[in-house]
Amino acid sequence: MPMREITYLQGIHEGLQHVLEHDPESVLFGQDVGAFGGAFKLTAGLQAEFGEHRVFDTPICESAMLGCAIGMATQGMHPIVEMQFADFITTALHQILNNAGTRHYRTGNAVPIVVRAPSGGGSGGGPFHSEELETFFCHMPGVKVVYPAFPSDARAAIVAAVTDPNPVIYMENKTCYRSVKEQVDDRIAPLPLGKARVRRRGEDAVVIAYGAMVHEALRAAAELQESDGYEITVVDLRSLKPYDLDTILAATAATGRVLVVSEGWKTCGFAAEISAAITETGFHLLDAPVQRLTAPDVPIPFAATLETRYRPGAGDIAVALRDLIEF
Amino acid sequence: MPGMWTLETVQKVAAVDSAVWVDVLRLMVLARKVDEQVIRLCRQGQIRGSSFTGIGQEAISVAVAVAGEPDDLFAPCIRNVALHLGRGETPLGIMRQVLARPDGPTGGRDGNIHHGRLENGVYAMISHLGAMISVVAGGVMAKRRHGKDAVGVAFVGDGASSTGDFHEAMNFAAVFKVPVLVIIENNHYAYSTPNSRQFACRHLVDRAVGYGIEGLSADGNNAAEMYVTVRGIMDDIRTNPRPVLLEAETMRMRGHGEHDDFKYVPEELLLLYHRRDPIKLALRAMKAAKLMDDSAFSAMEAEIEAEISQAAKQALSETEPSPDTLTQGVYADA
Repeated sequence: MPMREITYLQGIHEGLQHVLEHDPESVLFGQDVGAFGGAFKLTAGLQAEFGEHRVFDTPICESAMLGCAIGMATQGMHPIVEMQFADFITTALHQILNNAGTRHYRTGNAVPIVVRAPSGGGSGGGPFHSEELETFFCHMPGVKVVYPAFPSDARAAIVAAVTDPNPVIYMENKTCYRSVKEQVDDRIAPLPLGKARVRRRGEDAVVIAYGAMVHEALRAAAELQESDGYEITVVDLRSLKPYDLDTILAATAATGRVLVVSEGWKTCGFAAEISAAITETGFHLLDAPVQRLTAPDVPIPFAATLETRYRPGAGDIAVALRDLIEF
Repeated sequence: MPGMWTLETVQKVAAVDSAVWVDVLRLMVLARKVDEQVIRLCRQGQIRGSSFTGIGQEAISVAVAVAGEPDDLFAPCIRNVALHLGRGETPLGIMRQVLARPDGPTGGRDGNIHHGRLENGVYAMISHLGAMISVVAGGVMAKRRHGKDAVGVAFVGDGASSTGDFHEAMNFAAVFKVPVLVIIENNHYAYSTPNSRQFACRHLVDRAVGYGIEGLSADGNNAAEMYVTVRGIMDDIRTNPRPVLLEAETMRMRGHGEHDDFKYVPEELLLLYHRRDPIKLALRAMKAAKLMDDSAFSAMEAEIEAEISQAAKQALSETEPSPDTLTQGVYADA
């Protein structure tokens, strides 16, 4: 099958296109997603292709959008809701935590909704257009969370999220939209939710990461190989709830040294969960304490100097890995 | 002014098949007696926590339940046990729900009035007020895409009308012209908070203007007026889809829950609405119209009481769910 290069943004777009084409019950809605094509032009052309009935704009009402999606999903539809920025979900958390997340447990009714959450910083979005809130959603019973890092996974994860009969938060990293590219063919391989993928193998240490941090980790690993000859494993989690503890423990066993990287906040963050899970079940596999490299517990700053310090990058990861290997 | 009927209303009431009024009365009595049974169980210490009833507000739910069609969708709140019963829930289901029995509608995963069966078109509420209006709107949008001429009815109180969710959903439904009837049951108190601290507009229904939709008022204790009003709106929005706001004036005749002595409610207000009890009003009107007499009503009450008593006995004989089921069913199977 012929290969072509697509961006992460195209991966998501093609996933949406695939779902809209093959699943007549699917709809996509959000603010400015229709004729305008979305704040990031990610949905450009979808309304023209599938009609206003399938792809439509809403008023600014995150809670009503999610409530509408829950209503549709409980009547056999598969709504995909685009939050213009993940940050804005905070005005409607109760619809995910209390309404969608509790419904199957309380009533036995499935709620197959997908909430797309454009996330992450690095481009001067400031405190309200850069947040990385996966931890909020991972904390919610009844909710699943995916976070692809590569275009092919981004495409497949849309299909997997829509197919899943549960509420799925689809985290997508804005920094990756146009910077991350991959050669793909037209075949969308099934992506089982909860399966990580090892992106690089080495025996000196493992980095466990997701989203944009996978790419920072891969850069750090390449740098360290060149500068110090260290061989680093990089695990791309892809799915955060459920997460792939088997792959995490296998990489822990193979290296004995684990660095968990997240661009979210540190205290009670997702990196803390992974760190705790490794310590609970794989303590005997460790040659050094599990380390976390995350954003500090501060609001996301605007100035480039501040945000660059705020957000973990390949250089920070390389330093942390060297410390870990030399522990 | 509640209770003042226009000639048009009188004519509409007269035009309704008399069997409907018997259904309306029976359902109100059923809901009242179910609530009274729940209160007895609560006082006996059989129910965990408090109990929340809709005593005095039955006419509103009953009007909707009787006017509804099979494909319609409903988002009841805590004062709407009559809606559940009118849409097919049984007294046994209610008893199992409040007693947290495995065969109840939520199997003990949730309590009191937090239940609903989609097969009856009824959504289980969440406690975050106003959050269910958009859910029922989305459900109706889906039904209509599937070729059904469904309409939705969402119930909120005067308290919920202050929430952001109420505003978001009203505006959303108006923009998309979703056929949803949103009923504000203005029962004067949101827990202990009176209307004067809840809103500053003259009437809650005035808000309809701001959403660009129609707003109507009705006497929520008058079952006949409620029925002809609700029926008229539901029939109309079924063929000409759009949301409508209806403010139903009523009174919460007990505390917020059974734990609440509601001493903050003036005695004279309760007395006024006691005289305007929806069941008393309906019975008096039906007797005057020769649609009901004392012996038929007594027989109706006896039959209902026997069913409820049997339901309570049955539910009490069952046990709460096994703790081993705690983690089951959080997710739907992929």
